[in-house]
Amino acid sequence: MSKPTLATVSLGGCEGCHVSLLDAHEGLLDLLEAADLVHSPFSGDEEIPAHVDVVMVEGAITTEEDLRRLHAARASATTLVAVGSCAVLGGIGGLRNLSPVAEVKARAFGDHVTKSERLPRLRRLVQPLSDFVEIDISVPGCAPETGLIVDALVAAVSGNEFSFGVRNLCDECHREKRALLEHSSEFVSDDVLALMELDEIDPKRCFLEQGLICMGPMTREGCGAKCTAANVPCRGCMGPSRLDYEQGAKTIDALAAVLPAGGIMYMDDLIGTGYRFSMPVSVFPGALDHEGGDDD
Amino acid sequence: MALGVFLSRCGGRIESALDIQAALAGVAGRASVVRVLDDFFDAGVAEGISRDIEEHRLDAVVLAGHSEEHFAKSLSASHLRDAIVAAGVNANRVAAANILEQCALAHPDDVAGATAKARAIIDVAATRAEMAEAVEGEMIRPRSSVLILGVTAEAVVAAQRLLRLGYSVVLADREDGSKRAGRAFEMHATTSYVLDHPQARVIDSARLQDGDGYLGDFRIVLESADGLETYRVGGILLARPDHTEWVSELRQHFRVDVDDAGFARSLDPAMHPAETVDPGIMVMPLRRSDAQQVDKVAAADAAAMALVLKLSHDTVVHYRDTSAVDTALCGGCATCVRTCAFGACSISDDGFSDVDIRRCVGCGKCVVSCPVGARDIVSSPHDYLLGAVRDLARAKVEGDKVIGFLCGGCGYPAADSAASTVAGRGVGYPSSFLPLRIPCGGRLDALYVLEAFKVGFEGVCVYRCREGHCHNLVGNLDMDRRVNLLRTVLRSRNIDDARLRIIDISPFEGEHFIHTLEEVYSTIGGLANGKGGPL
Repeated sequence: MSKPTLATVSLGGCEGCHVSLLDAHEGLLDLLEAADLVHSPFSGDEEIPAHVDVVMVEGAITTEEDLRRLHAARASATTLVAVGSCAVLGGIGGLRNLSPVAEVKARAFGDHVTKSERLPRLRRLVQPLSDFVEIDISVPGCAPETGLIVDALVAAVSGNEFSFGVRNLCDECHREKRALLEHSSEFVSDDVLALMELDEIDPKRCFLEQGLICMGPMTREGCGAKCTAANVPCRGCMGPSRLDYEQGAKTIDALAAVLPAGGIMYMDDLIGTGYRFSMPVSVFPGALDHEGGDDD
Repeated sequence: MALGVFLSRCGGRIESALDIQAALAGVAGRASVVRVLDDFFDAGVAEGISRDIEEHRLDAVVLAGHSEEHFAKSLSASHLRDAIVAAGVNANRVAAANILEQCALAHPDDVAGATAKARAIIDVAATRAEMAEAVEGEMIRPRSSVLILGVTAEAVVAAQRLLRLGYSVVLADREDGSKRAGRAFEMHATTSYVLDHPQARVIDSARLQDGDGYLGDFRIVLESADGLETYRVGGILLARPDHTEWVSELRQHFRVDVDDAGFARSLDPAMHPAETVDPGIMVMPLRRSDAQQVDKVAAADAAAMALVLKLSHDTVVHYRDTSAVDTALCGGCATCVRTCAFGACSISDDGFSDVDIRRCVGCGKCVVSCPVGARDIVSSPHDYLLGAVRDLARAKVEGDKVIGFLCGGCGYPAADSAASTVAGRGVGYPSSFLPLRIPCGGRLDALYVLEAFKVGFEGVCVYRCREGHCHNLVGNLDMDRRVNLLRTVLRSRNIDDARLRIIDISPFEGEHFIHTLEEVYSTIGGLANGKGGPL
């Protein structure tokens, strides 16, 4: 009985999810014990083999080439594991959905149009994998926790179910809430501040109570709340607990009554704050009425 | 799920404006029973509907005809509802489809439009009746005691009637109650009777510090010279609806409708002048300083009678309007705690959100603020409202479709009262305006607005209470803040945020309702990216 086969593919992402997987160090041995790695971005072959038991896909669909390779991966895979916020939610690159493609290219390449012509054709919208193919297991995060990726892949090659909690991050976060638990008609903080505006951040107290926007309430648990433990507010990279509760709208719903809405930082970058990782899965996954794609 | 749809011709006012059969075509396929009746309030109708419920084992009922508001305030309408519940339909699965005030009477000159709109409204009500969760009412033995706020001649007369019927009465006055009890010659005997009665207490220099509960079982904490004291009463009578301090103290804990002067207002000045939004709280029909004694006594009788009608039952039912929290989703983020204006939400020791049923008024602000959807309002569930936005978008009406999120405290009754404005001028407003009732502006989720634009509405109007009028204190302000942040989201998607309007209104302002709607329609066509636009 031969071992199940495993392949990893990288589409429109930054390879960070692969780096997170490599971060498993000896943990990789457990995975390679359970499966044969037959293809990856580091293996030198361009195309994925015709049949692979488990395929891990990192990255969103941003170019026509991404889409072609996704379909090839789906055709080859018995089990397809979408890893990372780009694959699952569209990810941070999805913020470009608010600008016309020509503007995106001008910003990236300046006047060097010839360079962009040698690259795969950009699609008008960045989209998550699930817009095109069926996904068997989803692991969001930017990048996902190493342990989550390994657990998901081990479950996939062993044919087991994989799931993790869907509560919001506050469930995992160690920080204390005091003001938020009090019955009061006042805001929990007088103003909304940027991180650098505070001389000192209380390491034990909820960020919202200190006037810092934290995406924890709007974000799914599963990362172990490492950022908040390191005194950095959550940026929402795990995406929402439920995809039908878009992060951007719920950020407004949840925070408008507890923090002064005129908070400068939040108002200045409401979109970048609320939709940073999940623009492509929001109700309006991009701006309306732009001219077409790359060659139009 | 067996559905019964009963349509009232409302004394002929429905069929003169729309095609009843066409309006019922949408539900005909899904309902076990569809009946068209002359009028819900004719003799024998309640019995007939009850028979249908028992024969066809109906689980859900749609009453197409009068506005939902009518069922909230009219005694005859509550009798019909009670009969339906007694016949075995859960109270939360009886839905009114307002095809009279906001349809037949609103579009007298547009039969096709009124018919298409009525069909959509009936479909939405049917969905609401079928999908709403069954609620268990809490049976309460009403306390036979009443708290009267403000000692006046009327208060004393009402107290006397209640005492005669065996109720005990607490009379609270902001100053010196017995001095203000009306010593005029014709009042002397009544005042003495009340002040000397063993079941009556007068509390002087009183302030209302805290309160919770509902019809049949209120807990009120009064502060006076003797310190803080707690009273348990079955009902409350605000004898000084024009005393803004009493009104604002009450409003911290209970839903009280106020007018521009900050005076407490009754639900229905014509037919139920003492009843308010809260079934356990009555107001003295507003007195004029120059009122005759006979009018004062009549007002007192009306208020006492209204209380007795509510309290003279072995049991009254209180339905809890918030669902249990889904612990698989709640991470204890506490956004609901701070959002609730009544202090009803807290995070319990097990780390999950918890609602104090005695303080919850069912406004739904906590549901909106919950970023994971761990809780719901059973009378207007999230899935129903989102589905209703989609269903209303499918209405086959001509012209630019505009959805109106109508707050039940102001916008919805205002839209109802617009019916008489229409009757006065004979011209309706556009039938492509499709109403959706929400319990409070604070129940408006940003997701509903986004969905409305996504499914093709050209405009979204949110009718909200005027500053200081919100029954839920700050539901309207929370909604403002949410909507104004949401404008940034719309603009980021190239949707002209002028398509999203917030309109201030009071419950009786039908004229203003129509005027603002006309203004919306005159400008909406020229804005960028309606109908969700091509993506």
